[in-house]
Amino acid sequence: MSLKEKLRVMVVDDMSTSRGLITQALDSIGIQNVASAGDGKTALAAIAQSPVHLVISDYNMPEMDGLHLLHYLRSSPPTQKTGFLLITGKADPAVIEKGKQLGMNNFLAKPFQPADLKSAIEAIVGRL
Amino acid sequence: MTDPMQEIMASFFVECEELHEALIDALQSMADGFHDAETINVAFRAVHSIKGGAGAFGLEELVGFSHQFETVMDACRSNELAISDDLVQLFLRCGDFLSDLIRCSRDGDTINAVASEALIDELSGFVPKADTDAASEEIDFQPMTLSLDDLGGDASDDLPMDLPPLADLGPAPVDEETVQAAALLIRFAPEPELYESGNEPLFLLRSLADLGPCQVDLDFAPPSSIDELAKPGGRLSWTVRVETDQPASAAQEIFEFAAGLCRLEIGPASEMDGALPGALPTVEEDIPALVETPLPEIIESKQPTVPPSDGAPRSAAPTKTVAKVSPTVRVDLERIERLVNLVGELVINQAMLSQSIAEENIPQNSPVSAGLDEFMQLTRNIQESVMMIRAQPVKSLFQRMSRIVREASSAVNKSVRLVTDGENTEIDKTAIECLADPLTHMIRNAVDHGLESSERRVANGKPKQGEIRLAAAHRSGRVIIEVTDDGGGINREKVLAIALKKGLVPEDVVLNDNEIDQLLFLPGFSTADEVSALSGRGVGMDVVKTQITSLGGRITIDSTPGVGTKFSISLPLTLAVLDGMVVTVAGETLVVPLNAIVETLSLTAKDLRPIGPGQVVLCVRERFVPVLDLGKELGYRQALSIDNGAIALLISPEEGTLVAMLVDTIEDQRQVVIKGLQESYGRVRGVAAATILGDGKIALILDPNDIAQSASGVAFDNVQKEAS
Repeated sequence: MSLKEKLRVMVVDDMSTSRGLITQALDSIGIQNVASAGDGKTALAAIAQSPVHLVISDYNMPEMDGLHLLHYLRSSPPTQKTGFLLITGKADPAVIEKGKQLGMNNFLAKPFQPADLKSAIEAIVGRL
Repeated sequence: MTDPMQEIMASFFVECEELHEALIDALQSMADGFHDAETINVAFRAVHSIKGGAGAFGLEELVGFSHQFETVMDACRSNELAISDDLVQLFLRCGDFLSDLIRCSRDGDTINAVASEALIDELSGFVPKADTDAASEEIDFQPMTLSLDDLGGDASDDLPMDLPPLADLGPAPVDEETVQAAALLIRFAPEPELYESGNEPLFLLRSLADLGPCQVDLDFAPPSSIDELAKPGGRLSWTVRVETDQPASAAQEIFEFAAGLCRLEIGPASEMDGALPGALPTVEEDIPALVETPLPEIIESKQPTVPPSDGAPRSAAPTKTVAKVSPTVRVDLERIERLVNLVGELVINQAMLSQSIAEENIPQNSPVSAGLDEFMQLTRNIQESVMMIRAQPVKSLFQRMSRIVREASSAVNKSVRLVTDGENTEIDKTAIECLADPLTHMIRNAVDHGLESSERRVANGKPKQGEIRLAAAHRSGRVIIEVTDDGGGINREKVLAIALKKGLVPEDVVLNDNEIDQLLFLPGFSTADEVSALSGRGVGMDVVKTQITSLGGRITIDSTPGVGTKFSISLPLTLAVLDGMVVTVAGETLVVPLNAIVETLSLTAKDLRPIGPGQVVLCVRERFVPVLDLGKELGYRQALSIDNGAIALLISPEEGTLVAMLVDTIEDQRQVVIKGLQESYGRVRGVAAATILGDGKIALILDPNDIAQSASGVAFDNVQKEAS
């Protein structure tokens, strides 16, 4: 079983368009084990039910933003090491710095091509 | 197969509309003085999300514009830029333009680059254009690699994951921290003496709200016995969380006069939190690691940092809640259409079944009758639910109108305020779409012709700012939409003069006020002295009327000189089903909509007063009501002389006085399915639609309003004068 076949991913974004785009990009890379959620709480509940290897989350979301979500993931032992890829609108140094402090694995600024997403994921989990 | 990207793009534009609606909502709140962080944040996030999606599809213009837009909003969000009225107005204009951009991007239309540049320049005046490249250079980030072994190796293994149940998570940790720093917690339990000494807890709670946004919880333990309720006072206590940077002493002062009359605890929320009944577990307990890692300032800037000195808007702020979007499903309209039609058939079928059962003389208490009753109930519920699917709040329509007012008022240089009412009134989706054009015309007319110039308003002792009120409401089975201006009213002399000049009415015509107002609806009518850029060349109102009529609606005018003008649109709920009274007239079976009928009367000779040869009026409780013979009005027969015991329906039209309509017999009262006639026959005066009755016969559904209006005018005028 290749890495991309076994990789389980959770996509979190409040915009269904973005969820669709990311899922579509993942699909084109060959990652099909993808769940998605429209907000952090739903994502956490889904992950608790069915764990994932990698969370790809938008930064800018109402209620719980991407970094809050990361913070929750990191503060619970089972998800302390879950991969976390933050999608940001712009590469804001302050956001990246905080993400780094909270233990984010990588980030990707919008807009991106599937190839960019692939390299961002490969930087976390190794060659796909 | 459709391209998945195309599908996603289509859904992006749908999402854009929702985001744009949220944006305008938030901006409108800002214009109303709500400058709290959450409102700004909602606006920012909407633009940000639009930009994000646009970037993915390479919609450069949209990205460029929303980028500068969000940059300025971001500056407001982080308190780098103070929010002024001018800025909010600019935001609103940008919001309006953004919707154009979205539409152009969607339809592939040419984008007005000049307008875009102009607005971007204006925005740049507040915050210089961000240099996007500069930021990325400073970022120092090395991706952290993970081996899947760390995660539990093969994905088929069950990873040991037990995240705390979500209920225990509490609010996001950052909120907790900053709020703790700036919140007071007050527990207040009045003793009976407090009430006896005439203190009012409500006033104390109100004073607390002056310190900052309050969250008030009533701690109410149900009484264990009824006797307990009889004891005086002292049963209620409150827990109030005030978000303020004021010290606890500020809250102490408020309770100064209540000292000794209540149990009171005041302290910083952070210290008292744990003791709060039902409080969420504090973050510190759950997540020790976080305490050492203070959370990002970028996030803190989003906290509700309400400046303590801005008075009125702030004290109102706590009541403002940001609407939550409930989950939705998008369904093809065609499917709903089919469902509506099927339900229509179901109603007809049920009526037929009821009739057959009635003809079989089955006793009322039989299981068949009981079952039929339940069936009828269910049919009605299904029908109502189906109608609710198609219904949408008029809010989106009204929101579009606020843009029209903004544009129109700046075009004619008048200061205009739009007040909306009944935004949540739901009407059929199709009707909402069809109403956009007529309403736009009406709003423009109101701004351009209805409202006087600022100078004249001031001279007439009116506020300088004109007001246009847009209201929607359900009234007796119809939807009423009103556009009211507080302008000078219709200048009837001028209207009549113009109509005469243009040869729209004969020279010797004598018209009452109402009839003069109606002239506005004639094709090719324009009252503006100079044709302004705004209202165009008088193509407005006649087109409006045609559009409203094609929706099965009516439009009426009510104008008072010096006070203002009200246009009322009345639309059917397009229910597909209506409650009707089945009557017979000259051997024909007809249905009169029940909502138009005020009462049914059996006439006696003393109720009738002759007013002229062959004309009578009905005296109902000392009020004169014109009498129409439905058979004559519909052309079935010559007018009958009214006998003792004749049956009349008292009809209340939307304008004018009551009318009595003579019918031969009243058969039944029932639900009927509306079958449109317009496609086959065009519009027939006095007839709204047709229906199929339980016995399979076709019956016409009357439009009593139309009949009342078209009825012989002479008797009408006479009666109205006599009645007044």
